[in-house]
Amino acid sequence: MAQIVYAAGVPHAPAIVGLIDKVSPESQRVVRDIFGGVRRELDEARPDVLIVFANDHLTNSRILQYPDFLIGMAAEHRGPHEWFKPWIGCRDYAVKGDPAVAEALFRGMSKRGIRMFGERGNLNYDDNISVPSVLLDLDHSSMHVVPVLQNCTVPPFPDQHRCYAIGQAVADFVRNDLPATMRVGLIASGGLSHEPGGARYFFIDEKFDRWFLDLCVEGNHRRLLDELTIEHMEAAGSGGTAELLAWVVVMGAIGERRGRSYGYTICTDFRCGIGAVSWGVGNYH
Amino acid sequence: MGFERFDPTLAGHDLVQDLKWDKKLREQFQRDEKSVLDRYPLRPEERRAIEARDFRALYDLGFHPYLGGQLSRLIYGNDAGGGALIANKKLVESLQGKS
Repeated sequence: MAQIVYAAGVPHAPAIVGLIDKVSPESQRVVRDIFGGVRRELDEARPDVLIVFANDHLTNSRILQYPDFLIGMAAEHRGPHEWFKPWIGCRDYAVKGDPAVAEALFRGMSKRGIRMFGERGNLNYDDNISVPSVLLDLDHSSMHVVPVLQNCTVPPFPDQHRCYAIGQAVADFVRNDLPATMRVGLIASGGLSHEPGGARYFFIDEKFDRWFLDLCVEGNHRRLLDELTIEHMEAAGSGGTAELLAWVVVMGAIGERRGRSYGYTICTDFRCGIGAVSWGVGNYH
Repeated sequence: MGFERFDPTLAGHDLVQDLKWDKKLREQFQRDEKSVLDRYPLRPEERRAIEARDFRALYDLGFHPYLGGQLSRLIYGNDAGGGALIANKKLVESLQGKS
């Protein structure tokens, strides 16, 4: 039986790469703690493959043909996409893909009644995959990556209940469909509160962010599903905060357990609340 | 803000997607915006809003805010801390009725 050996939720605001030198030492420290800590835990957990759930941000598909979940099936994932490079301010990278796991995930979700889409070519990656790839140095690791880009912004999109159920299906897929010795890590990339493109572009909802991080640490998923509604996330930043649904997928996969917060920082330059939670290292089954 | 008015059928959404994905089209947009806008079945009021940089009007028509933010960067600049910051400010000023 394959195992989920690690899970974490991390931010991907582009400014934590491109503007990191312009922010306070305290904000720099929190970003360093998050990505340094998660990388150390990944090295300890030794996943063979990382499945990374992240907001697609309308980066790959037209709005009239928008998939709720899009699996990157390429043997290598290169980024950032040319237009996003100056915006993120990050280096080029190429991380190892895993076409076999990506295909198995597509088959596994289909047979569990979940429609995902797949792309064998290189997807367009903006900050969603680029920021964790470069800050976790995934291009300098033996880990293979399967990105799953998620619709968190084109209504109607899957709500917290649907995303949690998809996470549970992912756990079942790992247990039953992947090779017995395979070690799987799950990363949710996104959040916290922000409103990209909205009238409150520079607004960060600290109260919401701290409430959400506390809930992730507490591990009470009944409360999570009752209270983390789309309306609640929209109030904390329309069109952006709902990418925390990627975290809900991961929490659905690992089930209720306490997490560890990597701290929180609020900085207008980031235009997004910055925090992260990991849910430990070990066998989750 | 929110998605109350969101209209996925606005052709301007495809304009933004194509500009992101096609560097040559982007260069043409910078040189000769009219010729690029002519390619898309924009509604008259949608085209007027784009030409006037009136994001408030565009959003009232149902434009997706995430793509609106990107349209602002395609017009005003896209580099971290430079053009993108100006683009963000211009967008917010328009949405708040300050421009």
